[in-house]
Formats: sequence, C-alpha cells, structure tokens
Amino acid sequence: MHNQLDRLIWRRHRRLFLALGALALFANVVMVIIALSSRQTAGAHQLVGASIHHWATYKGDYFTAYSYWLIFVYWLAGLLLMNQDLKDNFNQFLFTSGFSRQRVYWTKLRQSLVVLLGISIVTIAVQYSLYWLMKPHGVSFTLAWPGLLTSWISGLAVATGLFAICWFAALIIGQTGALIVTVTGFTLSLMSVGAISQPILTNRPFSLSGSQLTWLVIGVWLIAAIILFVWGAVLYQHLSLEHNGEYLMVPRLKRPVYLVFVIYVTGIFSWGDTSWMADVVTFLITVIFGYAWLWRPRIGERLHQWRARHDG
Amino acid sequence: MTLQVKALSKAINHQQIIEDISFDWAPGEIIGLVGRNGVGKTTLFRTLTNQYVAEQGQVLIDGQSTTRHPLQQRQLFFLDGQYNFLSNYRLWEIPEFFRLVYAQFDQQRYQDLLVQFELDRNSQYRRLSKGMRALVNLILALTSNATYIILDEPFDGLDVIVRENIATMVIDEVADQQKGFLISSHDLNELDGLSDRVLLLKDSRLVQDYHLEEIRETAKKLQLVFNDKTIPAVLKEHSQLIRVSGRVLVVVITHYTPEIDQQLRALNPVLLEELPLTLEDLFRANLAHDTGYQLMK
Repeated sequence: MHNQLDRLIWRRHRRLFLALGALALFANVVMVIIALSSRQTAGAHQLVGASIHHWATYKGDYFTAYSYWLIFVYWLAGLLLMNQDLKDNFNQFLFTSGFSRQRVYWTKLRQSLVVLLGISIVTIAVQYSLYWLMKPHGVSFTLAWPGLLTSWISGLAVATGLFAICWFAALIIGQTGALIVTVTGFTLSLMSVGAISQPILTNRPFSLSGSQLTWLVIGVWLIAAIILFVWGAVLYQHLSLEHNGEYLMVPRLKRPVYLVFVIYVTGIFSWGDTSWMADVVTFLITVIFGYAWLWRPRIGERLHQWRARHDG
Repeated sequence: MTLQVKALSKAINHQQIIEDISFDWAPGEIIGLVGRNGVGKTTLFRTLTNQYVAEQGQVLIDGQSTTRHPLQQRQLFFLDGQYNFLSNYRLWEIPEFFRLVYAQFDQQRYQDLLVQFELDRNSQYRRLSKGMRALVNLILALTSNATYIILDEPFDGLDVIVRENIATMVIDEVADQQKGFLISSHDLNELDGLSDRVLLLKDSRLVQDYHLEEIRETAKKLQLVFNDKTIPAVLKEHSQLIRVSGRVLVVVITHYTPEIDQQLRALNPVLLEELPLTLEDLFRANLAHDTGYQLMK
C-alpha cells in the first residue's frame, strides 16, 4: 500500500523533481563559474575565508557554502508540488484513490523533502567539486566543519521553512496568479521582519551573540515549518474541491487571514515610524486593500450586477 | 455486496445543491440519474466520491463508510469528464496511474479497446476531440474493473455507432452481476434502453426512484380527444400532461387503476389510445413545470 502510494506520487511528480534538480544544478554551476571568473581578477590566495572555522553561517566573496539557488528551489518546489495537483485536478484522483488523505499528504511531503534533500546533496557535491577542480593555479580551497555544518543546517532550515510556507499557501490558495503574488510578497516581507528583529535580539535585554542568533533563527524556521506541515495536514483532511479556483480553498480562513494580514502589514510598515498620521494611513490602506483582495469576487459580482441593472 | 447512500447533503456557497439523498445500489444494476441542468447530478457524484466533503450523510460500501475506510473507495470508479488530470499525458501513460489504484485494472483490455476504437496510444489526451476523450474515459471506467462505476454524461459527443458499442459493452459488463453502473445522461432514449432503475433529481432532492419494469406495469401514456374542450376532473387529478396538439391531449398516469379507466371511458372520448411509455415521458411528467394544465387556460 505504502509502496503503491509512493509510486503513484513519484509517477506524478518525477518530471517536476527532475526539472527542479536540473535547475538547482544549472544555477549552481553557473554561480561557481561566475564566482571563479570574478576571483581571477581579484588575486587572493584563498577561495574560502578564515571564518569557515567558526560555528557561524559562512559568508564569503567567492565561495557559498549553501547556495541561495537551493533555497529558491525549495521555495519553488513547495509552491509547485501543491499547486500543480490542485490546478491539474490530480487532487480529484488522489481523493478518490482509496488512500486516506492523511497518508497521501504525509507521503507526498516525505517524498518531496527526501528528493529535495537529495537534490541539495548532489548539488552541493557538484558545486564543491567544481570549486576544487576549477580553482586557479596557486589558489587553495580549504574547508572546515564548523562553518560548513552551520551553513548547511542553517541553509536547510531556511529552505525547509520557505518550502513549508509555499506548501501551506499553495494548499489554501486556489488561484495560481494570486498565490504567486501572495507568496512572493510574504517572502519579501520576511526580509523586513529580519531587519526589524535582528537589532531587537542583539541589543538589550536579549543581547544575543551572532552564533546564538543563527541557532535561534534555525530553531524558529524549523518550528514554523513543523507547525505549517501539521496545520496543512489538518486542512488537507477537510479540503473540499468545490472551492478550487477561489482565492481561499478554506473559506473559514478568510477572516483570520484578513486580520493577520492587516496586523502584519501595518506592523511592518509602521515599525520605527514616529508619525502617527502615517501609521493611520498605512492601517487604512491595508484594511481596504486586504478587503478588496480577499472579497474581490463578491465585489466584482456586485459591480457586474449594478452595471447590469443600470444598463437594463 | 451493496453501496448505500444515506442522507447525503451538500451546500456550496450557502446554497443547498443536494439534500438528503438516499438510495441503495447493487452490482448488476444499471441506474440512470436524470434531472434538469444544474440540479446537482455532478455534485452528487463528486460528493459520493469524496472530492467534495459532504455536510451530512455518508456513503457505505458493504456496510463500511468510505470516509472512515477509504480503501472501500476503490470499488467505486468516477472520472470527472470536465475536470481530470489526464490532459498532459499520452494515452499509453495513463494506465500507469490507474493500475496503482485499481488492483484489477486490465491493461491489456485497455490497449485492445484503444485499438478497437482506433485511438492512437501516442496521442495526448488534451489533443483528442471531445468525443474521443469521452471514449477514453469510458474505456478507463470499464477496464478499472471497479464494482460500482459512475458515468457522467458518457454519451456526450459520441457518434451513434460508438454509442451503440458502448451501450452494448455496459450491458455485457453487468451480465454477470459483478458490476453496477450509475449513469447520468440527458439522452433519455439512450438511458431508457440501458437502465433498470431511474433516479429523478428535482430541487436538490431525489424525488423518484423508478424501477422501470414496475412503472411500466402501473403507468400508462394515453392519447385522448374529448368532445368537450374542458379538461375532465379525472385527468386533472390523476394525470400529468405531456403534450397538447389542438384537441389531442397526451397524458401520463403513473398509477393507472381500473377505476380511472372506467371514469375515462365513461366520458366517451373521441379517441383513447395507449402509447408506449418512455423515460422521456416520465421526465416531462415529473420535471417539466411548464407543460401543466394551468398553461392551457
């Protein structure tokens, strides 16, 4: 039974997995080539900086321990794996297949994460091999476990967290265009969250060191991912496909989503702003935009009816 | 072995689409599902197969709820003609999915039927004509070897020769009493020749469950002409008007009794002739609101 479901999901998504793997490999190969070609003009003797010996995420000029492209591939995978099954009506087949929805959900998630981990390992192996093989004469390529392990764990945590956000969003949002806009907007907003939270956490009263901050962020990403995966499983169990094509596949989430949107967006834009007038304007714009975004089919419908009445 | 639908209800956007639907379905039966457009036939199918989550009610196969025992769903086959996942796949790829779900899926027969109906196995599903897609859906339904097969407008887009072939195949499938079909169709003539039973949906509810053999024993379709222009009370009370042409009335009396016969003959009609009763007549009699006696005034 397990094997059959694994095969079914693999049969369905193998092309997508292949495409994601190819994208990760291609992007990283190009990244290595660009990094090495820019290095030749710089003239340093080390590709990897000394900070690779510290228990912190490595950030260097030429060498990337865990590529941003890999994080992007996880992000994209979360989006596509859920959205494609909804858009291509594969969910209909899965829901009538005789496999319990919980088993379908967790099998799909497990298989996706295992494949993505495999893509990460292969891509990192190819990427590091290329660095070693293509490094210019006289330049050394020295790695150390502290920086590597921290970077890998941190990269995987961020990637898994972003995968979870996209996976969850694609589960509850039934319109592809709106899903991309929502998820892209939310992902970009996380940079603001990072910029706001970092000074708070590194100054009093928390006064976290760089290393402590790194591990805290890893923990937050992983906990967020677990919460979203479990919450997603609960929603998947009750998903009813008549809402396919609507913005929210779970209508009862409309008001909570609206509330969270207004608080979150107003909070981000108003943070550090001393003008209360600007805060009020931000709040009002958020309230109106959120309402129009979430209730737009009904607004459109009413507008259409109003026009029909007046034209008639 | 039986499939029971018990008090199934489904609302979409606060509008009740199907309400309190109950019926039993046994292998060997071909059940027709008829109702006017938008009455909820496809919603019933999608709710039956757990694509839509029902507000109330349940579907039991061999006494076990399909939501609590999902494995039972494999005895039930439904492929949505409007929304399915096959579009991007070639015909030879499709069985790979179905044989992982339906243990008895007959791949050899699938291939044989593709050849029989001259369907190119390398064709992409979405590039097929509407009729050819309907044919592939039907082939998948038959080769799934599921016990209960739901077909939603299966004859839509098929030419008359293919329709006949399909109808023959459906009848052959139920001959050994191992499979049952639930077929919705607007082609009432086609259903008439196929079905043993007909379920009638009206205003979100199941209003009739006709066993066609039984109904043909009790119901009559009559063509009548009276001297007087007024409609006799006996007709108003017991019959449903199907057609009016000048002074010729065509009516259906679902419970034709000797008393009604006596009353009609007592009126000395100019013409009283029995006509063959079709499913279309029952459909008109039950569902066509606009052909009642009130419109004759």
